[in-house]
Amino acid sequence: MKNRIKVYRAMHDLTQEGLANELGVTRQTILAIEKGKYDPSLELAFKIARFFGVTIEEIFLYGDTAERP
Amino acid sequence: MKRNTFYLLVGIVALIEVGIFWLSVETERPILIQVAFVLGVILLYAVRRTVEERMEDERTAMITQKAALRTLETFWVAFFAISLGSAVVAFSRPLGLRPPHLGPPGTAPPDMLELPFIGGFALFQMALLCLMIFLYVGFRVYYARKYGDWDTDEEQD
Repeated sequence: MKNRIKVYRAMHDLTQEGLANELGVTRQTILAIEKGKYDPSLELAFKIARFFGVTIEEIFLYGDTAERP
Repeated sequence: MKRNTFYLLVGIVALIEVGIFWLSVETERPILIQVAFVLGVILLYAVRRTVEERMEDERTAMITQKAALRTLETFWVAFFAISLGSAVVAFSRPLGLRPPHLGPPGTAPPDMLELPFIGGFALFQMALLCLMIFLYVGFRVYYARKYGDWDTDEEQD
């Protein structure tokens, strides 16, 4: 599953550490999600989306939608 | 508490445990090290909660769970295999396990009834491993109930 966390993080001028602190997770978890090595739980996905003020679909791209430009 | 302070504390507790182990051997009182070990683990678990920097989240929990399960599976097979080998080696000796003596009690030669120490220990280890299976099943049942494995709803008969 692909995601645009890095893009939204850059838009909000946030470091991985900063985002991790805001969400209550470790920096390594943010890194793993960004690299697609770990799919977050639904709860964490909602937290991330709400933090950036968007829907989950705008951040996480599942299956075919990940192919979209 | 900072994370590095916590690691320092772990080292200190380990050193104290080594000292208590020595004391336990000198005084021939195994209860000393047994109690000290349990207390040390409880202390470290309690202190770990006070570490300011976050050390655990859902990803680390998942990693821990998977690693623990794989370790258990691998360790169980390896340990049981070694215990089986130990039992065979021990019982192959002249003082090994023999078929039950059918005569009156106390008439059998002592060397026919005595279990070799290593063989008995191997059997004890295998018994512990079997106990581990029951423990695992117990935990599986507990967590399955906790997380709704056997819950029913109105759509089921």
